[in-house]
Amino acid sequence: MEILYVLIPVSVLLVLAILAVLGWAVNSGQFEDIEQEGLRILQPEGQPDKGNVEPYQD
Amino acid sequence: MTPTILTTTSPTPAPDLTAAQVAGLDDPALLAQCVVEVPVGSSLRRIGLGLSGMYCAACSITIEDAILRVPGVSEVQVQAASQRARILLDPARTKLSAVVAAVQRAGYRAWPDAAARAGNERLLERRKLVWRLSVAAFCMMQIMMVTTMQYVAGPKAIPLDLWNLMNWAGWVLSLPVMLFSCGPFFSGAWRAARQGHIAMDTPVALGIAATFITSTGATFGGQAIFGHEVYFDSLTMFVTFLLGGRWLESRAREKVTQSLESLCVQLPEAVDKVIEADAELADISSSRTESIPISSLRHGDKVRVAVGQVFPADGQILAGQTDVDESLLTGESRAVRRQTGQMVVAGSMNLGSPVWMTVERLGPDTRYQQIVSLVQQAMTEKPGWMRQADRMAGPFLWGVLALAAGSAIAWQFIDSSRSVWVAVSVLVVTCPCALSLAAPSALLAAAGAMAKQGLLVRRLDALEALAHVDQVYFDKTGTLTEGELRVVGLVTFATGAKVSKGLPTDLIERWQKAAALATQSQHPLSRSLVKAAQESGVLQGQSWLDVRELAGKGVEARDSSGASWRLGSRHWVLEGAAAAIDEWSEGVGDARVWLASRTSEGSLLPDSISGYVFDETFRDEARPTISRLTDLGCRTALLSGDQEARVVAAAQHLSPKGELVVAMAHAAPEDKLRVIAEAQSQGHRVAVVGDGINDAPVLAKADVSIALDQGAALAQSQADLIVLGGRLLGVPLAVETARRAMRVVKQNLAWAALYNLSCIPLALMGLLPPWLAGLGMALSSLGVVLNALRLGAFHS
Repeated sequence: MEILYVLIPVSVLLVLAILAVLGWAVNSGQFEDIEQEGLRILQPEGQPDKGNVEPYQD
Repeated sequence: MTPTILTTTSPTPAPDLTAAQVAGLDDPALLAQCVVEVPVGSSLRRIGLGLSGMYCAACSITIEDAILRVPGVSEVQVQAASQRARILLDPARTKLSAVVAAVQRAGYRAWPDAAARAGNERLLERRKLVWRLSVAAFCMMQIMMVTTMQYVAGPKAIPLDLWNLMNWAGWVLSLPVMLFSCGPFFSGAWRAARQGHIAMDTPVALGIAATFITSTGATFGGQAIFGHEVYFDSLTMFVTFLLGGRWLESRAREKVTQSLESLCVQLPEAVDKVIEADAELADISSSRTESIPISSLRHGDKVRVAVGQVFPADGQILAGQTDVDESLLTGESRAVRRQTGQMVVAGSMNLGSPVWMTVERLGPDTRYQQIVSLVQQAMTEKPGWMRQADRMAGPFLWGVLALAAGSAIAWQFIDSSRSVWVAVSVLVVTCPCALSLAAPSALLAAAGAMAKQGLLVRRLDALEALAHVDQVYFDKTGTLTEGELRVVGLVTFATGAKVSKGLPTDLIERWQKAAALATQSQHPLSRSLVKAAQESGVLQGQSWLDVRELAGKGVEARDSSGASWRLGSRHWVLEGAAAAIDEWSEGVGDARVWLASRTSEGSLLPDSISGYVFDETFRDEARPTISRLTDLGCRTALLSGDQEARVVAAAQHLSPKGELVVAMAHAAPEDKLRVIAEAQSQGHRVAVVGDGINDAPVLAKADVSIALDQGAALAQSQADLIVLGGRLLGVPLAVETARRAMRVVKQNLAWAALYNLSCIPLALMGLLPPWLAGLGMALSSLGVVLNALRLGAFHS
């Protein structure tokens, strides 16, 4: 039973860490469109034409 | 699997942008409206784009690829669910028209999303709500893990220091919930308190605060005052349920907002303004024009509107006469004739010939924009049950506070060490979680189930009225019938006056010719000809030379063999025909569109003449809808502005047994209102199903109003329920679902009231240990939610 003295605090810290990761995922739009990412791999030409973007010059 | 499967059903490319559309899109003022975000220290802009024509998630990838190929675009995100794109581009290197054209070439429609910033705010708000919900749900799960040990083993089997450690863990885990997830409840309660009101959030916030404070006290050595019990598990569970409900509601609301927003979009165009020097000319049609963006148009300006253009403002026609498609505003799919001196409304399309107009109302003052803002306002309105709940919450809360205070005072005299303990348990037990979840959870679950069937619920409290409806009135045109006219047959000189039923195969060549020529025209009847040909698979591409479209007459062209063909009005197509032909064609009054060929000398070839007959068709689902509504005990009736004979024929066609009563034919909007008011005064609950703009007042009068999504935007903005895709069977389904939802609401309310009423006396007497009160609170909320979810699981 002594292991619980370690496990309970560890589980609390773990939950807080998971919450941080979840927060990043939600706020960067990872849950906006769940279906489309699975289909992306089946798309014939996945590589967009990188050449059309010139680096920004000031 | 070959990847092409995903793209085989790709839609055909949309027509290219016109020069006026390109100029309108490249208006810098418009681009500025669409900017969502300006990255710091760069000239790039992130803009919003609305999309339509997407049918699956894979479409979004096709669109992303198309936009990424536009030079100057560096980032694209397309969201299939919300039909929106966010694009990072360099305004110096690319134009909005290039992006829109790229999307159109890929086969979808795009328009600059001028409301992008508002949409972006809604998105951020929604994300925040998901974030609050997931924090609450995660912490709840972990607290449950810990407290399960306490529940199972009991205080005697666990050493005191370990027991305390578990309580501390629960306290730490409920901190994020209290500080972050509960924010909306506390701020809502605080806002109401500052204005001297009591809102539904008030008892919730007080209950949450009281539970947290007692549990905190009990955790950190205040057992003498607060008792031994901690309720972090029921606290977080309660918050999770409440936030879950709010999230579901915001999702349902967003879906409705989007479907309505996409109705109200059009590509902006540049306007041909009459230049100042010529504005006072007596003959306006000889004036010169300049092309200006719509944002610099001013009141009193005179503009020329070409064929196929959208009227930029409300105003009066100065010169010319034309046919106008006002279907967006009125749902009337047939073109309306407008001539000098008459008003035209912004958003309608010029189909006939070029006209000159003065601008009288612009931008936010136009009828079109008023409709759009009506729609948006309806979206932000608080549902009625919520307002009612807010009103009821006041007396309820004062009662609870009085009870808690009274019990605390009473227990001072009985056993002063238990007085706070009892007051808290009264507060916990009366916390109206189950009561506050009872109605919304059931109504939301029902609305969700209905959305899956293509029914959008605009006002949740309409479900209550819908459950009691016993009379359903239908509009005929556009509601029970399709909005567009359909080709039902054709006549030739050889067949005489006899109209063929359907489209006979021996005349297929004639019919193909007409459809091919019709593709060259934008007239509604031409479009309907092309659509019919596409549906029966006879449409063949043909090359035409010297295509000319003449306003009010038709379209003329030469085919590959050099023969000249005309498609259009009888008068024009059969110009100079022999008297016999003229007499015969006169007799076939139902034929609205004619086709004929001429020799190079211009004389008519009698064998090439054919006429096309159009009629309205009933929706496939009209008949089963009537019979199912009758089975549900609703009286169905027709309320139409059409002629008596046609309405009676429609009623007989749709209900052989006479279930569908003709309430009134040839009815003006006032007559319709009177019929509805009479039925209501006899104690009937009335639902009206309609679509046009003249249905709008009738829809507003009815207990429940249902609009079809193909109708006018105004009718929809006043409707409680919108049936998508013209699926009329949604109407009986909605009645059924609403009835079941109200049954569930009653069960929920009964259960919640029973729980609260039976527990309060126990708590007052000090017989209810707070842990039991907390468990009861959680279980009653869970029971209510699970009961409501039964509605969502139903499939007809």
